[in-house]
Amino acid sequence: MKMKKLLAWSLAGAMVATMIPAAGVNAKAEDSLVIWTLTNDLIQFAERYEEETGVKCDVEVTQPADYPTKVQAAVLAGEVEPDIIVGEPKMLDSYYEAGLLADLDELGASEYDGQIVDYVWEKGKDMDGVQRAISWQITPAGIYYRRDIAQEVFGTDDPAEIGQKFADYPTILETAETLKQAGYKIFASDGEMNVFSNKEAWVVDDTLNVSQARLDYMDLCVQLFQGGYTAYATQWTAPWYQAMSGEIPVYDKDTNLWDDAEREKAEENATETTQVFAYGLPAWGVLTMRDNYKETEGKWGICSGPSDGFDGGTYIGINTNSKKKELAWDFVKYCTLNDDTLNWWIDASKGDTVSKLSVIEAHKDDENATYGGEKLYQFWLEQAEKIDLSIVTPYDQAIGDAWGEAITKVKTELMDKEEAISEFYDEIEATYPEINVER
Amino acid sequence: MTTATKIKKGLLYLALILLGLTCLLPFLMMMVNATRDGNEIMTSFTLIPGHNLKANWETVSNYFNIFKGMLNSVIVAVPATLLTAYFSAMTAFALAIYKFKGKNVLFGVILVFMMIPAQLGLLGFYDLVSFMKLINSYIPLIIPAVAAPGTVFFLKQYVESVLPPALLEAARIDGASELYIFHRIVLPIMAPGIATMSIGAFIGNWNSYLTPMLILTKTEKYTLPVLIATLNSSTDIVSNQGATYLAVAISIVPILIVFCFCSKYIISSISAGSVKE
Amino acid sequence: MESVKTVGKKKKKDYNRMGYLFVLPFVIVFLVFSVYPVLRTLYLSFMSYKGFGDPTPIGFKNYARVIQDKFFWRALWNTVKIWGVNIVLQLGLAFLLTIVFSDIKYKMKGLGVFRTVYYLPNIIAATSVAFLFKTLLDWKYGSVNNLLMSLGIIAKGAQINWLGDPKIAPYVVSVINTWMWFGNSFIVLMAGVQGISKDYYEAAAIDGANRWKTFGKITLPLLRPIMIYVSITSLIGGLQMFDIPYLINDKGSAGNPSGSLQTVVMYLYKFGFEGGTKKQVGYASAIAYSLFVIVLIVSVIQFKVMNKKED
Repeated sequence: MKMKKLLAWSLAGAMVATMIPAAGVNAKAEDSLVIWTLTNDLIQFAERYEEETGVKCDVEVTQPADYPTKVQAAVLAGEVEPDIIVGEPKMLDSYYEAGLLADLDELGASEYDGQIVDYVWEKGKDMDGVQRAISWQITPAGIYYRRDIAQEVFGTDDPAEIGQKFADYPTILETAETLKQAGYKIFASDGEMNVFSNKEAWVVDDTLNVSQARLDYMDLCVQLFQGGYTAYATQWTAPWYQAMSGEIPVYDKDTNLWDDAEREKAEENATETTQVFAYGLPAWGVLTMRDNYKETEGKWGICSGPSDGFDGGTYIGINTNSKKKELAWDFVKYCTLNDDTLNWWIDASKGDTVSKLSVIEAHKDDENATYGGEKLYQFWLEQAEKIDLSIVTPYDQAIGDAWGEAITKVKTELMDKEEAISEFYDEIEATYPEINVER
Repeated sequence: MTTATKIKKGLLYLALILLGLTCLLPFLMMMVNATRDGNEIMTSFTLIPGHNLKANWETVSNYFNIFKGMLNSVIVAVPATLLTAYFSAMTAFALAIYKFKGKNVLFGVILVFMMIPAQLGLLGFYDLVSFMKLINSYIPLIIPAVAAPGTVFFLKQYVESVLPPALLEAARIDGASELYIFHRIVLPIMAPGIATMSIGAFIGNWNSYLTPMLILTKTEKYTLPVLIATLNSSTDIVSNQGATYLAVAISIVPILIVFCFCSKYIISSISAGSVKE
Repeated sequence: MESVKTVGKKKKKDYNRMGYLFVLPFVIVFLVFSVYPVLRTLYLSFMSYKGFGDPTPIGFKNYARVIQDKFFWRALWNTVKIWGVNIVLQLGLAFLLTIVFSDIKYKMKGLGVFRTVYYLPNIIAATSVAFLFKTLLDWKYGSVNNLLMSLGIIAKGAQINWLGDPKIAPYVVSVINTWMWFGNSFIVLMAGVQGISKDYYEAAAIDGANRWKTFGKITLPLLRPIMIYVSITSLIGGLQMFDIPYLINDKGSAGNPSGSLQTVVMYLYKFGFEGGTKKQVGYASAIAYSLFVIVLIVSVIQFKVMNKKED
């Protein structure tokens, strides 16, 4: 008992000691954080944090493709900045292995045990069960669709009935045909169902696992692309975003939309326009929508996809070399565990789905006006219950990219299916000798 | 000279001039396009400058601070070149003049390393820099310049051919110290050779891409070539070809100025058979 | 007199000892930043190492993997292809120019100016060159295709996909490299010709040798060692090719289109420096040494062949 008391007092003393300089003369130097992030979301959090606490936040956004390289190089070389590091679930395991993230339990994370949706809390723990990252969001996937187009083409905009139009891949192709007849495109890109194709892990028992769902997905992409059912607006390119606000020009199959110069030219030459019916996106898609829907605000609905899906999610952690761990932990708590922040965020994001149970509970019956009054929280929560993060592997990025390349080769008729898959196997085999490839 | 020879000679000159134009045309297109509107460039070809220079400059300056990149390149390339010049001269002088144990071994190793491709040590170098916690520091880009085998090799030949041994003996008899001799007598005599090698070293340092790209992860530390390479990930700038041309054009101005003043030295440094670096 | 002599002798010993002091900075930096990294890379090539933690020894496994890795061989073939076309064009052009400028009949003037102009592309940073050509050679809207169309060489709408067609792109890179380097080779060859004593030519003229004989008997044999030198240094540089193919495609180290621009050093970069799960420093080190061995073998063969050919 005495020991415990002593420990408690010395801990309290230590905390006060660390707080004195923070509040004292040296505050200026200490009161800033360097944050490296993958998406723009954290900029808003940081701005608000800066306003409320006066801590200067220096946020740098890096493309997901370059992010792990950059973070790993900096932290392994002992750089004290950035203080805050983020990661998607598929990146976290390699962060843990390389020891990039600070122990949050030491900073007091274990106190918050049970306050966050279970799967999120667990994914933030390393292989030894130490908490190293926390996310403010849950990321089940759904189909975002235009209610006005649904009314016009299908005579209903009810999420349950529209969900039926996406029940499985053959139905999706039928739906696509109906929409095509009516002058619409079912999707902006052929990659929209990707979030639903991740039913089994890419690597099971050190063996590459190309499940039936992956093959079906490949076929679907090829059919969507070759059947002219999409707007050929590759995911994450400018036209893909633009289609969220309504009309976009009809692009040529082989326009490289990543090349802005080429895109602009193609837009000038385009004679027709079209509209896109639906997107497949995780819960954080509300943010993408919010920034792009413009006049179509309020015309969207969300329904379930052909299967349960999820994707991404930004987990926040602290650089293990950071000299400002206490302050950084305060920021992590502010973004993930603070009810005020999360309530503000739900409003600011037009309905991003947070991971803190008390906040979810409070918003359960919210009707989201942007999505025709749908009770989105209930919907996402139901979807989230089916999320199984054990199928996420550290290889997902690389294997997923290679699979995407294979699909592109098939759909553009550069290769036949067999050839493309064989090349995909070759590449995985050459890149990861530790993975068995059974052909 | 016969008429036939004259015609042949004329044709030869024509061919030489055409080849010269091929060398200059891309630069000319770049300069012209840097002043044109992105849309114009995409639809037509011309060598008449446009009126969009200011707008293009705004796009470029909004995207990155190219002068900061230049400053960083100066901060790296100038000290590195000075180190190469000074220490290579010193080492070359020692190898040429003094007799000491291990001298031949050292010279042999220098010869071997002149032929070893740089990438062979790249991974070990990065591992070392990372271990020394020198990522994002200019030290690993500057200090290694002290040891430039190719320059030492060339300067050793050079000092052997220009330095009369009698001069050293005379200075020693006057009681001059070895360091004094090196600084006051040898360096001035070696100056033309050092200048020739320095200009090559400077260009090499200034243009270096792979190593700085690996060592530097912070944008504010990027040297010019690393900064230019980030054009690949910008969307604002790629959508305006005029801005891309302008950024590239600005990036080559400093080296063009160097070339204008030092082309003689540069050409003689190649004639000297310097190893391409 | 006696004392002066001993002092002199003593000093002489000191002079030579100064040699150690003079080479010391070079030796220290050389050992730390050149020799150690090369040895460290060799050590790592026998390890499994992700860039953190302790490397685990795995013997020759990395090398066995290199031999079986078809993407390594593809990258090597790409590199050799790009370099091979480049060196033929580069040396050929430089050689032709040297013939023209050393011809005893035409006595071409303006060497200084031409030499400077031809050399100009060589001083520009490869990154700038890459972006310059990437923009000029843009498939649909680049200035080169626009120029060709306005000259009527290609039809409207039939633009050449310079950098996007795997059948063309590697050779485009070869030509860009030639553009950058032929002036350099020309200067080196020309320096060789100018190094040939005028006496030889005068003697040949007195003997009544014609131009071609002079060229064949005097210029060519004396140029051969320089050609060997240029091609071997070019090989060492060329097989390390990275900057231009890395930056001129859109996919970084993947070297699209269809991997046709992926060079060995880009392949090494993929495993050595890209983060996440791909990072396999041991394997990248083995790639570096495999390339070194290949360069060594090819250099020796090249040296032998070129030395023999015209005997």
